[in-house]
Amino acid sequence: MSFFAVDGLTMRFGGLTALDDVSFEVDQGMIFSIIGPNGSGKSTAFNCISGIYQPTAGKIYFEGEGISGLAPHHIARLGIARTFQNIELFSTETTIDNLMLGRHQHMHSGVWSGVAMLGRATSAAREETENRERVQWIIELLDLVQVRDRPVGELPYGTQKRVELARALAMEPKLLLVDEPSAGMNADERAEVAERMRELRAELGVTILLIEHHVQLAIGLADRVLALNFGKPIAQGAPEEIRQHPEVIKAYLGDG
Amino acid sequence: MLPQVLASGLSAGSIYALMALALVITYKTTEVPNFAQGDMAMVSAFIAYMFLTDFETGFIFAFGAALVFAFLLGVGFEVLLLRRMRKPTHLNLIIMTLGFTLALFGFAGWKWGADQRQFPFPVSANEVIRFGSVSISTLSVATILIAGILMLLVFAFFRFTKLGVAMQATQQDPIAARINGVPARAVVGLTFGISSVIGTVAALLTAPLITLDPTLMWDALLKGFAAAVLGGLNTPVGAVLGGYLLGVIENLFGAYISVEFKSVVAFLIIVIVLWFRPSGLFGRHHERKV
Amino acid sequence: MNDRHIDVVIEPTRDHYEDIQLFTARGSWIKLALLLVVLVSLPLLLPGYRVFTLNYMAVFVIVGLGMNVLVGYTGQVSLGHAGFLAIGAYTMVLLMTRLAVPFPIALVMAGCVSAFFGFLLGLPALRLAGPYLAIATLGFGLAVTQIIGHSALFGGHMGLVVPDAMVGPFPLSGDVSKYYVIVGITFVLALGVRNLSVTRVGRAFRAIRDSEIAAATMGVDVAYYKTLSFAVSAALTGVAGGLLALMTGFISPGVFTFTLSLMFLAMVVFGGLSSITGAVLGSIVMGYLNLEMDAFQELPVLGPALEGFSARFMSTVGLPNFGWVVTGMLIVFTILLEPRGLYGLWIRALDTMKYSKSADAELSRSGSGAD
Ligand SMILES: Nc1ncnc2c1ncn2[C@@H]1O[C@H](COP(=O)(O)OP(=O)(O)O)[C@@H](O)[C@H]1O
Ligand SMILES: [Mg+2]
Repeated sequence: MSFFAVDGLTMRFGGLTALDDVSFEVDQGMIFSIIGPNGSGKSTAFNCISGIYQPTAGKIYFEGEGISGLAPHHIARLGIARTFQNIELFSTETTIDNLMLGRHQHMHSGVWSGVAMLGRATSAAREETENRERVQWIIELLDLVQVRDRPVGELPYGTQKRVELARALAMEPKLLLVDEPSAGMNADERAEVAERMRELRAELGVTILLIEHHVQLAIGLADRVLALNFGKPIAQGAPEEIRQHPEVIKAYLGDG
Repeated sequence: MLPQVLASGLSAGSIYALMALALVITYKTTEVPNFAQGDMAMVSAFIAYMFLTDFETGFIFAFGAALVFAFLLGVGFEVLLLRRMRKPTHLNLIIMTLGFTLALFGFAGWKWGADQRQFPFPVSANEVIRFGSVSISTLSVATILIAGILMLLVFAFFRFTKLGVAMQATQQDPIAARINGVPARAVVGLTFGISSVIGTVAALLTAPLITLDPTLMWDALLKGFAAAVLGGLNTPVGAVLGGYLLGVIENLFGAYISVEFKSVVAFLIIVIVLWFRPSGLFGRHHERKV
Repeated sequence: MNDRHIDVVIEPTRDHYEDIQLFTARGSWIKLALLLVVLVSLPLLLPGYRVFTLNYMAVFVIVGLGMNVLVGYTGQVSLGHAGFLAIGAYTMVLLMTRLAVPFPIALVMAGCVSAFFGFLLGLPALRLAGPYLAIATLGFGLAVTQIIGHSALFGGHMGLVVPDAMVGPFPLSGDVSKYYVIVGITFVLALGVRNLSVTRVGRAFRAIRDSEIAAATMGVDVAYYKTLSFAVSAALTGVAGGLLALMTGFISPGVFTFTLSLMFLAMVVFGGLSSITGAVLGSIVMGYLNLEMDAFQELPVLGPALEGFSARFMSTVGLPNFGWVVTGMLIVFTILLEPRGLYGLWIRALDTMKYSKSADAELSRSGSGAD
């Protein structure tokens, strides 16, 4: 059984079929890219995996267990984290508080212990302090030290994208879903994003499922690529295969 | 007994339906649940009262003046307050209408006191017409007829007049409407004016039934909301049906189960209906895209 | 993820506890001591009837804390909190009269029973949003007073007299002794809510307000925390209800009106959503306005002017309603001009001060540099 697998995933919105019988498998430690023109169903696939949409048909397996139909917070607790194409941060909260939300599932304080946080030695205070220490390296890694205590709503777009990635990493996921990390960025920034993804995989060993509109970036990073068009899988394979695949070339020429 | 109860339900339901319709047409345009709807109508009813008693004008003039005032009040509320909000979140919009309603309520109490006043009206709540076994007051008949005709006019306006169609277009898609040359801002102001007029008709029909005081429209507003929620806040026809339905159910409950808890039943129904259909009986639910 | 962290230069001396510590700087201890001195000495300095007003404002502050949890943090609307206030008040009074439960225990029970109803009301909140939720909570508030008003157990429309309360061996007879109990509890609850807000549960509440979907994908059980938020908010409001009964000595359904619920919602917005300082300030102002509707007549110069104006253009009997006009206008203009409310004004004032101070420092430095 593979680490992560999607089998026959189909999602319909009324008359629109956003995903049509999509299947793929991801091995542990891989970077797996999903490419496709706008509206081809990539984000919808992520929404199905993370439990936000209930798929019309098909199954999703993570570490051998079926996870389709589970609520999003259950899926998160299994070790699947994600970022969103159109940033979904807690915009009035500071960077550190956003990251601390990533720690939510690893913490235990409830109402009573929270209310009774009266000194450094109380359980809630200890838990808070420990977890803040624990995410400090992520803050430094993603170059967020300057904005640690700033409300994220007022940060520039690129920084917000980094905060969102940091928040997902704070969850210490086994599988990381990244939706369009380089959207709206220039070539230099894109290169930086690519570098960061490689680094994360190399250093943390986290498996990455990557959606990228920018084909070169997606293919360059990936160990394996799935191409979608109008919700249908048109090609799947190693990066160099996909680069030359006639269907893929057609889809992108048609698009642009 | 049943036909009698249905008649009372229809009469009460007419008021609820008017309020529900007034609430829904502004909600559809701006997503503002207007909690000031009731007190805007109440103040307008006081204007009619002022003309009738202080200036001793005829009914037509007094009611006309009240409706004109209501229209201006509605437009003014949108243009001078709602439109100028810095951060028009859902919550802030609700609070704005709540603040406005408190101010109107205070104003009415300040100007006219809290006395319950007899509201002069062409037909009376005590004069009874008999239809077979059903006896019904001339006021109730007038209420059912006037409300019915007004609502038909409103629907005809939205369907058949150029302005009405433009307004509906704005409700459905403000940006596309603007591209097609509909002045969206003006339409929004106008919607509040029309909605305020509809609410005021409800108030003018309620005042002779109970008495006129600053709490005149509290019950009607709450029931109007309940009706709108019952039918679906996005569907004018649904809201009107919700109004009649609520009036009838409430009176059935009062007649056969308990008079005391009659006004609670409305909200019980709401909670039950919303539990199964979170957007009302006739409304459609929208998922947020991410 | 394995435990191999990427090599980065770790800031050596950050103390992470400071992020959440209650009183960080030395200055805040001094401020706290000042506040306590003021709170303790206020009833001794003011005339007796003012202490009643203070008690009333403190009860409003507790409700404000509860509304802040629900509306400010979790982003849910309630137009029915007068219902929780009633549940708290009646629970406490009935326990004391029928079962001879001592006041402190009855007060805690008031919070618990109210919390239970808060949990129940939270259930529809799972499926409803915005105006739909507002209506459901509104219906709840009305239903509570209707049921109380029509049942003999609750004394019907006539209301109930609150029995004398004791704390241990000490009777709470006068307004002043009640003041110390009420304000003491208010103070402790405010600290508790503040602590809640900086720890895990408070963070989850605010996450739901900002983005339900993102919160869920972080592992926050949205349904659980929404109902929890209703329960916590209701518990606070229930305790406030018990204390309201204690201070007034008499409760009836006529107290717990829809307008009161509006007032509760308005006061946290007016004070500044999602800020405890704001909630407290807003509650104090609105509580005062709500109790002292006729205070405007007693103002030195404005009072007579207002009376003259009323006699001429409005009506003299209706003058007490002027308080509603002011309340309404305050809300309207807060939303219009400073959506962050009183707290926002305060922040702005601080910013301006800081700015001018640092500008001063800048000036003096450049001045000395020129020497
Ligand atoms: N919640 C939804 N309701 C209706 N249609 C949706 C929803 N989410 C996505 N879609 C539709 O599904 C299609 C695929 O969208 P998406 O997955 O966002 O594409 P991509 O991420 O590949 O650009 C689009 O046509 C989009 O409009
Ligand atoms: Mg997408």
